[in-house]
Amino acid sequence: MSEALLYLLQQLINGLTIGSTYALIAIGYTMVYGIIGMINFAHGEIYMIGSYISFIVIAGLLGMGMVALPVILLIALIVAVIIASTYGWTVERVAYRPLRGSNRLIPLISAIGMSIFLQNYVVLSQSARDVALPPQISGGWTFGDPQLFEVSLSYMQLLIWVATFVCMTLLTLFISRSRIGRACRACAEDRGMTNLLGIDTDRTIAMTFIIGAALAAVAGLLLGLYYGVVNPFVGFIAGLKAFTAAVLGGIGSIPGAMLGGLILGVTEALTSAYFPSEYKDVVSFGLLVLILLFRPSGLLGKPEVEKV
Amino acid sequence: MKQFSRTLLSVGTALAIMGSAAAVQAETLKIALAGPATGPVAQYGDMQKIGVMMAIEQLNKAGGVNGMELEGVIYDDACDPKQAVAVANKIVNDGIQHVVGHLCSSSTEPAADIYEEEGVLMITAASTSPTITEKGHKLIFRTIGLDSLQGPFAAQYIVNSVKPERMAIIHDKQQYGEGLATAVKNEVEKAGITPVMFEGVTPGDKDFSALVAKLKKENVDFVYYGGYHPELGLILRQSREKGLEAQFMGPEGVGNPDISKIAGEASEGLLVTLPQSFDQDPANQALVEAFKAKGEDPSGPFVFPAYSAVQVMAQAIEGSGSSDPYEMADYIRNNTFETTTGTLDFDDKGDLTEFSFVVYNWHADGTKTPAAQ
Repeated sequence: MSEALLYLLQQLINGLTIGSTYALIAIGYTMVYGIIGMINFAHGEIYMIGSYISFIVIAGLLGMGMVALPVILLIALIVAVIIASTYGWTVERVAYRPLRGSNRLIPLISAIGMSIFLQNYVVLSQSARDVALPPQISGGWTFGDPQLFEVSLSYMQLLIWVATFVCMTLLTLFISRSRIGRACRACAEDRGMTNLLGIDTDRTIAMTFIIGAALAAVAGLLLGLYYGVVNPFVGFIAGLKAFTAAVLGGIGSIPGAMLGGLILGVTEALTSAYFPSEYKDVVSFGLLVLILLFRPSGLLGKPEVEKV
Repeated sequence: MKQFSRTLLSVGTALAIMGSAAAVQAETLKIALAGPATGPVAQYGDMQKIGVMMAIEQLNKAGGVNGMELEGVIYDDACDPKQAVAVANKIVNDGIQHVVGHLCSSSTEPAADIYEEEGVLMITAASTSPTITEKGHKLIFRTIGLDSLQGPFAAQYIVNSVKPERMAIIHDKQQYGEGLATAVKNEVEKAGITPVMFEGVTPGDKDFSALVAKLKKENVDFVYYGGYHPELGLILRQSREKGLEAQFMGPEGVGNPDISKIAGEASEGLLVTLPQSFDQDPANQALVEAFKAKGEDPSGPFVFPAYSAVQVMAQAIEGSGSSDPYEMADYIRNNTFETTTGTLDFDDKGDLTEFSFVVYNWHADGTKTPAAQ
């Protein structure tokens, strides 16, 4: 392979890794939108909290002298998912449920308030500084000609791909096969009718928030391990990117969120690769504008039907 | 009016002291301390804070300044230009006329415009962007060297000691980082080194894998980074993971122990230009002990410049016999000051006429040693 091709391959690997995590966070946005037609602006903070909790658990277990890394990661994952889900559920209870049925803008504002609250709450309880964790999973494969360009794929990147793939598969199965999944889809289609048919829609909506938060916690753990740092402000940028991914793929559509995440990640990596990297955001958000101009409902979104 | 009554008051105070010979302190002079107390670069704000607070404490212990007791009031701008403007207005509204700060150049610049307009004296101990003092302001000073000194200094070291074959310059698109990066670029180009890359990254970004791959493809052997430690820490860490073997160098904005926490082993051998270590100066050992006794770390690059900023203010008040910002500013321009950072002499713009930097080798445990020339 030539140098240019190896370089392209390396950038695709980088892009797919970032894209996978965007996709994981984007799911939370898209599911909530699909069901109640609102954007959960506190979602990025849930991701940030997931990251913090996994850091605290990992550091704690390492400090207690535990050495088995898979066990540590598993415990961190479980704890992070449980606590982040609790936060997700609480956000719904506090910022959405009391306002259900009111003007659409009102829960939007309360969600933004929730986001600011959570960010500052972490600033105050954990300090505003970067918290760092030494690399836990290091090493990887390299291939290609060392004389030309060596492509590297780290174990961590592979773990991110695999974990994203597994989460997405499980989620798709859950939504299409399980009872709660069916209730979710019914809610998305017609909430009033679903309610009339005897399904507790409040519970279903709470469930959506919990699922979204759990996936955000997985992303929090993975990205925390990958980058090795977390601060109270990471949720904002990650949330913005994931939200973009969700809109790009068609908000409300789960495969759309996955596709949108991957496209956004790869676009960012390729832009940084072939143009000065300061144009990264210009190109990816320009792409978003273009797609929305020609496909207002996103790549895989269904055109919005005016409900009477 | 307020000014007049304050002058009257201090005259009265002076008379009272003379009369009774008892040092009764009737007035406190508030000094605002503006900088990031929260946010990603709060540790630099801490350096400034401990320096200022120590100076105030020691001056008060020695009997205050012209019979006035100093009091430090902390304002948090979080290194955010918008918040800095709000903070500056608040300081003006609170009636404070003396400010040490701000810290980030991008915060100091808009705040300085407000202070100048409202007649508040400002001395920054950390902002190094040249543009801050280029507007002909009368009341704005600094006790730290400029990017326009630090950039060429770093460039000299790169040209003479590093001699890179393929050099890249990365910056964070902010006033401080890009300003330094541009200064370094101009200077190395004069010496015949053309950087193969000159690019910006987004502050707050976490993923630099695409950038690292690009550096690797360009076979870069030396990278100068203009910016702060959170981004450079991640770039170092990701470079190490991707097998990029290049020497990195950065300004004082990256030189604090947090970079070692973020980058771990990858921070070993990083080159950093820092103001000369005033805490190593034998003349300052008593002060260093005083910091240590309070459990504070005096080794940060802004601690001593912040201390000397307060010293300059105190000496200007004593020398000019007034705490009026305009009279103090005149005095500061026309005199030299004995401080913990040496004898300070200010030019017409309000900058130091002389300020020396040193290149250090950073280590993975967060310490530093002077680099070989």
